[in-house]
Amino acid sequence: MKKRAIGEAGWGGTAIAAIVGFIYFFPVLFIILTAFRSRSDTLATPPKWIFTPTLENFYHIFYRSMANSTEYVATGFHMYFFNSIYISGMSVLLALIIGTLAAYGFSRHPLKGNDTYLFIILTTRMLPPIIVIVPIFLIFRVTGLAGTYTGIILIYTCFNLPFSIWMMKSFFDELNTEIEDASRMDGATERSVFFGICIPQVKAGLAATSVFALILTWNEFLFALLLTNKITRTMPPAMARTIGGEINVDYGLLAAMICLFLIPILLVTYLLQNQLLRGVTFGTIKK
Amino acid sequence: MNNNSGFLAWVMDPKRRGPMLIAPAIIVLLLINIVPLMWSFGLSFFKYRANTLKPPKFSWFYNYEKVVQKEGIWEALQTTAIIVAGSVGVQMVLGFLLALLFAKKFPLRRILLMFVLTPMMLSNVAVAIYFKLFYEPEFGLLSQFVQSFTGEMYVLLATPAGALIGVIVADAWQWTPFVMLLVLAGLVSVPKHLYEAAEIDRMSWWRTFTTITFPYVRSLLLLAVLFRTIETFKIFDLVFILTNGGPGTATETIGVLVYRTAFQFFRTSSSAAMGYILLFAVIVLTSLYLYVIKQRESEEM
Amino acid sequence: MGGKMLNLAKKTFLAFLASIVLSIGVSKAVQSKTVEIIMAAPDWPPTRFMQEYFNSNFPQSGDTEIKLTLDFIPWDTFYTNVAASLTSGEEKYSMIVSDSQWLGAFIEGGYFQKLNKYIDADPELQAIFDDMHQGYKEGYTTYPYKSENYYGFPQFPDNYVNFYRTDIFCNPDENAAFRAKYGKKLPCTYADWEVTVWDDIFDINEFLTRKKGEMMAGKPLEDDMFGVTYQAGKAYDFSSMQINGFFWQYGGDIWREDQQPNAQAVGVVNSDINVEALTKYLDLLATMHPSHKTGGMGIFEMQALYLEGKIASMINWVGLGAPVVDPSLSKVYDITGYARQPGTMQADGTISRWANLGGQPFVMTTWMTDEEIDASFKIIKWWLSFDTQIAAVKAGGQSCMKSIIYSDGYNALAPWNAAYVASMDWQKDVWHIPEFFELLTQQQEEFDKAITGQQDAKTTLDNIAEFQQELLEEVGRIE
Repeated sequence: MKKRAIGEAGWGGTAIAAIVGFIYFFPVLFIILTAFRSRSDTLATPPKWIFTPTLENFYHIFYRSMANSTEYVATGFHMYFFNSIYISGMSVLLALIIGTLAAYGFSRHPLKGNDTYLFIILTTRMLPPIIVIVPIFLIFRVTGLAGTYTGIILIYTCFNLPFSIWMMKSFFDELNTEIEDASRMDGATERSVFFGICIPQVKAGLAATSVFALILTWNEFLFALLLTNKITRTMPPAMARTIGGEINVDYGLLAAMICLFLIPILLVTYLLQNQLLRGVTFGTIKK
Repeated sequence: MNNNSGFLAWVMDPKRRGPMLIAPAIIVLLLINIVPLMWSFGLSFFKYRANTLKPPKFSWFYNYEKVVQKEGIWEALQTTAIIVAGSVGVQMVLGFLLALLFAKKFPLRRILLMFVLTPMMLSNVAVAIYFKLFYEPEFGLLSQFVQSFTGEMYVLLATPAGALIGVIVADAWQWTPFVMLLVLAGLVSVPKHLYEAAEIDRMSWWRTFTTITFPYVRSLLLLAVLFRTIETFKIFDLVFILTNGGPGTATETIGVLVYRTAFQFFRTSSSAAMGYILLFAVIVLTSLYLYVIKQRESEEM
Repeated sequence: MGGKMLNLAKKTFLAFLASIVLSIGVSKAVQSKTVEIIMAAPDWPPTRFMQEYFNSNFPQSGDTEIKLTLDFIPWDTFYTNVAASLTSGEEKYSMIVSDSQWLGAFIEGGYFQKLNKYIDADPELQAIFDDMHQGYKEGYTTYPYKSENYYGFPQFPDNYVNFYRTDIFCNPDENAAFRAKYGKKLPCTYADWEVTVWDDIFDINEFLTRKKGEMMAGKPLEDDMFGVTYQAGKAYDFSSMQINGFFWQYGGDIWREDQQPNAQAVGVVNSDINVEALTKYLDLLATMHPSHKTGGMGIFEMQALYLEGKIASMINWVGLGAPVVDPSLSKVYDITGYARQPGTMQADGTISRWANLGGQPFVMTTWMTDEEIDASFKIIKWWLSFDTQIAAVKAGGQSCMKSIIYSDGYNALAPWNAAYVASMDWQKDVWHIPEFFELLTQQQEEFDKAITGQQDAKTTLDNIAEFQQELLEEVGRIE
């Protein structure tokens, strides 16, 4: 027997992977192509696979024609783009910091009723957001947080926290505590155990956790719709402008927005891919 | 560093290391999740509509009675269960197969992997709108494909079964990569020397898989089931845009029902009561999963 | 232990602080001598025009400069956004474009300003109110419906028009073939459509439903073709609007909110006449494009089919007309004719054409300062002045001011104006009460079951009537 699970796939395996990958990617490819189609080609039946590509959809994200003339005015989308980056970046960072500390606590310094805490944390994550949104709304109303950056960042931090805690705890749990104990015996402080031994070993875990959290935050629609306003609006609610304003769905414009959306996420994922896939080298002593 | 007096010392006391580490997380969750939940728990015993100025009126279990008896929560739960079972099932199988395929090294792997991972990075709204287009009888690829054989337009979303399948396919397509990624992390983490040892022992492929590969993947697989079930249980945007809960109420999931109750019917307190019935279901589900995980862990020992 | 952790905590705290400072900084930035009116508006041409035309044409007078800022919100999420903003208490908008059905909900919520005292004190405003077409005034400004309590001004008045392909309906060969087969004329001109009733649509649709490759108007079809289409969607009000029209045309009714508390739902909503009307609507639907089987034939889906040349005619809002004549969006921009929607033949030989009013008023909110109220009325008077209204109509908008719609040359301003104006006397509105959304949502759900073939007209209307009766009794609107 050759090494089956890990190793060279051979040409057969590669071909299968290529075909599967392409089929899987097809709907996305359709969207990407649509972003470059002109309006008259968008809904052609049968679909046009060969066409003259145009960038007009991308231009229309940021500028739209005026109602009464041929001039163009800014749509304010660049602001929503910035908001998305700022809000999701901040909230993922916060969730990761708070979550990693908590995960380490749960893993290494278990409390009485540790499991109950973890259970409750998971339950808050399981609840459909729609259930908490009405009371959150009322609370935001009292505190004046509705429509502010602080408000939406807080919401998203909380939204990502249970996931961060559970993910990071699973990574901490799989580390070999003997190494930590040994270095403690050697006189290492608790702080240097955490930063010097544990954190380097869960780097891949941190990367994976932040990527997942980022994707979920970046795409979140409901809270963004209800709790942001003109100034703090993020991209997902702004994307709704492509639906039913003048025409049914401006598929080309929407596709262009999706492409724009994909760039930051693809970049992040691509840069972290090695860490994600090299996986976690559980049980090894050194990096 | 070791300030031996006052608050700081109290905080830094090794005895409180655990509580202090988790305190920030608990505070945030308490503020943003638990307090609002308590609030809506209170609200669920009142008659209240958020779109009028009438003050809430205490009504005991009226909302719960109404929700259980009249508002279609059982049908919605059933629909949700079908979608969860269908979608998570497909995701697990496909995700596992994809992970096995991509656990091997081959040229273009990095790029192909990017291709496969893309769907889960799209927003639900985007997936819903384009799948609606794909299923559309006139412009949709599916209908055009079928039409080229039968000559008739194919209207997938016209029947309850078709609409359910449409939702499941779209959701499973989007989230299979999530399962794949977790499984892949497990597969890659298997120490190579174990495989080398297995080769020396001339273990069969199946035995290698069950005794070496699977144990490394199992916990992640369960984590994947857990998270995907949670997420699919809450499914809202996809269904709302793709089928609007229709035809009739055939694809009205819990998420859609609560949304309708809260923001279309404006029965604010009714929706809170629904939320608590849901919370109960969610607690049962969560415990079940954690129990299974514990069970497996102890079996392993 | 501690130092690094503290550091982390400090950073976290600073990050919080930074975000707080930033959000405060942004919200406190706008402060100057000018009076700014922020108006929530759906993102579409009639409101975009309002903003652009205001910027270039509003006559500033007096010491204070008036600034009108429209917050363009996508139609799809407009209601949710407005409801969220109003109920959150952020008091961000001074004016709001509102669907007429929302009036009750937001007036009862205490958000919309009653205008009677301002109108009584201002002859100019009285003149404006007297000039509004009666049915539109009732629809856009009154709560309770048809009372003398006024709340809004028309932003974009709207009703149904029949958009049809002149290259098909006026093709001589098709006309000859139609006459040979059915012994009557295939409607081509506005006058032809004036005598067309729903029963004729059965023949027209049978005649125009053709497969890909078959000939139509002298050319082989590139795709399947269908005849007249109207709305049958589950979302929002995308079937109720058309079905209400059928009820009224047949002599039936919906629950009458202006006759509380005596008007009943059971017996009225599920009357035999209404069952007959709904049956007709469903029978006609069966001759149309199959998209309705998904419950997805909303106003925009239908428009998309028409723009792409997949249906020969659609009955749709004038508000969706502008893209039809836009060459960059429409494949039929130069071959479309406009007429009134078909009606129902009465016993006395006249044709009943009742339809459900569309369009939106704009309203003022209750937290405005006196300065802002003054500024708002200046904007309203400017918007409803003759020149502005004419410019709006030219740009694809509409008017319901009698001095404008009956003025010479109005019908020439937009191709659908004749059909629009002729339909104006046949408009009634759906409920304005706060419970409207509930009534509407349940009704849409039941209609959807009928449209997708899951239940018949009688069951549908019985379910709706029962639901309405119970709900309206519960809130004390039926005794």
